[in-house]
Amino acid sequence: MSELKDIAAHLVDIAGREGADDVIAEATDSRTHLVRFSNSEIDAVNSWEESYVQMFVAVGKRTLASDLRDMGNLDSLVRALVSSAGRAPENKGYGGIASGRFKYRPCRADRAIVNIKDPSKHVHDSISAAESEGADNVGGTLYIRHTRTGIASTGGALASDESAAAELSVRAFSQPEASGQAVSCTSRLSSLAAGRAGARAGELSVKAKDPVQGEQGKFDIIIEPLFLGSVMHSTMRRMSALYVDIGMSMYAKKIGKKVASKEVTIVDDPTIPSISQRAFDHEGMPTRRNVLVKDGVLKTYLHGTSTAKRFKTKSTANAGTFIPTLFTIPTEPTAFHPVVEPGDWKTDEIISDTKRGLYLNNTWYTRYQDYSTGEFSTIPRDAILRIEDGEIVGAAKNIRVSDNMLNLWKSVDAVSRSSEEVFWWDEASPPSTLPTLRIRQMNITRSS
Amino acid sequence: MSGGRLLEEMMMRPPVTCMIDEDIALRTLGEAESKESLILAEVRLEERDMRHITVKEGQVSSVITSKDMGMNVRIALPTGIGFASANRISKLEGSKLVQAALRQAKGGKRRTPVALAPEPAVKTSWEVYQKHKTADMSTDDRLSYLRELDKAVTKTGVKVQGRLFELRDYEIGSYFANSEGSRIRSFLPRITLESSNMVISGGETAQSIRQWGSSGGWERTHEWALHEVLPQELKMLKRQIEKGKGVKPGQYDLVCGPEVAGIAAHESCGHPMEADRILGREMSQAGRSFISPDMQGKRIGSEYATVIDDPTVPGSYGYYAYDHEGVKARPRYLYKSGIINEFFHNRETASRFGVQSNGSSRAEFYLREPIVRMGNTFVAPGDFEDDEIFGDVKEGVLMHSFTEWNIDDKRYNQKYVSREAYFIKEGEIAGPAKKCVLEITTPGFWGAIDAVSKKLEFSAAECGKGDPIQAMAVNTGGPMVRLRKVVLK
Repeated sequence: MSELKDIAAHLVDIAGREGADDVIAEATDSRTHLVRFSNSEIDAVNSWEESYVQMFVAVGKRTLASDLRDMGNLDSLVRALVSSAGRAPENKGYGGIASGRFKYRPCRADRAIVNIKDPSKHVHDSISAAESEGADNVGGTLYIRHTRTGIASTGGALASDESAAAELSVRAFSQPEASGQAVSCTSRLSSLAAGRAGARAGELSVKAKDPVQGEQGKFDIIIEPLFLGSVMHSTMRRMSALYVDIGMSMYAKKIGKKVASKEVTIVDDPTIPSISQRAFDHEGMPTRRNVLVKDGVLKTYLHGTSTAKRFKTKSTANAGTFIPTLFTIPTEPTAFHPVVEPGDWKTDEIISDTKRGLYLNNTWYTRYQDYSTGEFSTIPRDAILRIEDGEIVGAAKNIRVSDNMLNLWKSVDAVSRSSEEVFWWDEASPPSTLPTLRIRQMNITRSS
Repeated sequence: MSGGRLLEEMMMRPPVTCMIDEDIALRTLGEAESKESLILAEVRLEERDMRHITVKEGQVSSVITSKDMGMNVRIALPTGIGFASANRISKLEGSKLVQAALRQAKGGKRRTPVALAPEPAVKTSWEVYQKHKTADMSTDDRLSYLRELDKAVTKTGVKVQGRLFELRDYEIGSYFANSEGSRIRSFLPRITLESSNMVISGGETAQSIRQWGSSGGWERTHEWALHEVLPQELKMLKRQIEKGKGVKPGQYDLVCGPEVAGIAAHESCGHPMEADRILGREMSQAGRSFISPDMQGKRIGSEYATVIDDPTVPGSYGYYAYDHEGVKARPRYLYKSGIINEFFHNRETASRFGVQSNGSSRAEFYLREPIVRMGNTFVAPGDFEDDEIFGDVKEGVLMHSFTEWNIDDKRYNQKYVSREAYFIKEGEIAGPAKKCVLEITTPGFWGAIDAVSKKLEFSAAECGKGDPIQAMAVNTGGPMVRLRKVVLK
């Protein structure tokens, strides 16, 4: 089989000869193995394979995208696509595709992940570790992924990429309402810390025992990287220029303005080793490290070529996929690997420095009343630990953080020096590298 | 419900005509059947054509077409369940998938051997009728529909940012065969529209993020009546900004509109009643449930709290006639007169509970394993007229629709913030109430209901569950429900 980038280049060539002006072809071949476990045993194993080409063509300003999945019939599908594009309505906001003489970093996937035969040993390790810490019910998932892509475009893109990932998520219970969650996400199998993730989830589940009804009011909250991963999920989307453009972002008209405390620097960096490291965006532009928030000041939105043109700036090489994925809008510029730069606190120091607060392991279901102002709430899950005078004194349950996202970021006053790569389900997503934060005086509510 | 009768009418239509090659499915199944200690083997072949157009501020911003096909094999052995899938259909692929699924099932090492509730073999075909086939509509037809919608919005004079409309329609053709003799061919077309609008007035904003969806053809878009509904919604939001007053925190009688009743039915009845959650299968993702197996038959709400899930509602977004294990769909009475009545089951959970599956096994598409899912979940209608329901409310609030919402993973603590709300004084609507907040427990919500109106309305949604997360087309719905003495913030 030809290299994927050669397949992509061949299709770009055909589309060009058929009359397309701009063409992008991104060919993907992926294999995923999933082990799901619950009640401390493996309950299902899934595997799936996908081969497809995402194709974008423009005839003048008439654009059309398609997901070509009949790999034995690509040439004729591309000819039909260009023909249909010629009859498509004009996309007046179309700003072209990335073009230039691109250079790409070589990417290699860890062969140990690619060649793994039976990953269930890691699942059993994590279950045993959680149980040895005192958990009595453990569940989670282990993903083994191997993805190869090749891209070509009339803008000069021609590249291959390959990635492999092992992603373990463990949730442990010591009582029906006492749980802890931890992850180990890595692009190198030798770094997969299944036992450590299981032990951490188990340890947190024990600390979360006998939770009392949480109180309402203002509390300092200390959030673990997993919790922060969910916050990043919504923060990054609101920094996407597309959401700013349609009024669904609290970051509109905030470039150059303070959107977080001076402790906060946020970058998107798909160039560092991670499970979401990638060589190019979906227009074939080489990815790069983008500083989004520097010392609390918003520096840029996430852009592809069309949004950059609309905002009179340059693409940040964050062009999103032309075929929308779950709960996304087509072409929405997207963060690939957000990073909150570490600070200089030890996590223990943050706890001991907190007079009255809550230590929060994880959260989910972050929803907004109004994206343009940032009013939101999110529901902490897993260990919710009460802090009094610098000590953890017990666990709580049934609370909600109901506040404003801009206020949350502006209230960060401590950032840990240690960071962790996290990725979990559709919550702590995309994969990100994050520290622990303390956020002052967040509004905590609960059911009446 | 009349859904059952109409379903039979639909099923009497001529057999489905998708291009799937049954022979590949049967040969693949034959290979799986030859294995020892097999409890069940299933093979599904699927093809899907999709069209998607996005219009922003009256201009096209994206046009997508997609043609997809693939197959999966699911094998249950006493040691475990394996599921393998690929976006290719061939005998060779089928053979590879059998080997993979078998390997996975063997490697499961379950302490409790896998068991499935028995089901009769079914040989049938079903389809949802399209009066106007969406596949026959041109891109220009779709574009003019969306441009007219945008024009209707701009004509209101309301300042709106966004005006983003996404119209998506697709047809799923499928052939299912299992080792017990079931053979089911189906054709399911769906159409859905999502809109994002931010209303601005006097420096204040109010967001409207909505979805409409149906199974069927282009004719469904006429039933949505969006050229009237959406302008009304935006004018309403402008009034909410300009005339709305905050609700003084305290105890009120609350009337929930159909949209709010529907989301509560979905989140705090539907989800906690999924048997896979109750058994812990979703423990590390979508979560567990506050409901335990021994709570069946216990009271959760007032006698007026009845919640039904019925996948057979004709034209509904969550419609299906047979689930992905070949079990015939039927209405499920989840909470019945306030009593925890019936959980959602697939064949595996049903076996654990010693009951029959009630046809709740669904997968988003062929690459994903079927899991326990809802269809169309709604509060059962009562006998009050809409205006009667306000009748003896001295001081209260009508929360007609919601914006922010969430619920904890055990499905016990939920929050709804109003998008459209009004004060009720002495039984009459008395002006807009701005962003009132209901933060309440599940028994608190269902236990406070003392009246339910007659008129049932549905909303479409994509429900997320599973790992990898699967978006499932569902309806939520209800009539108006009245809750006595609940705290609003």
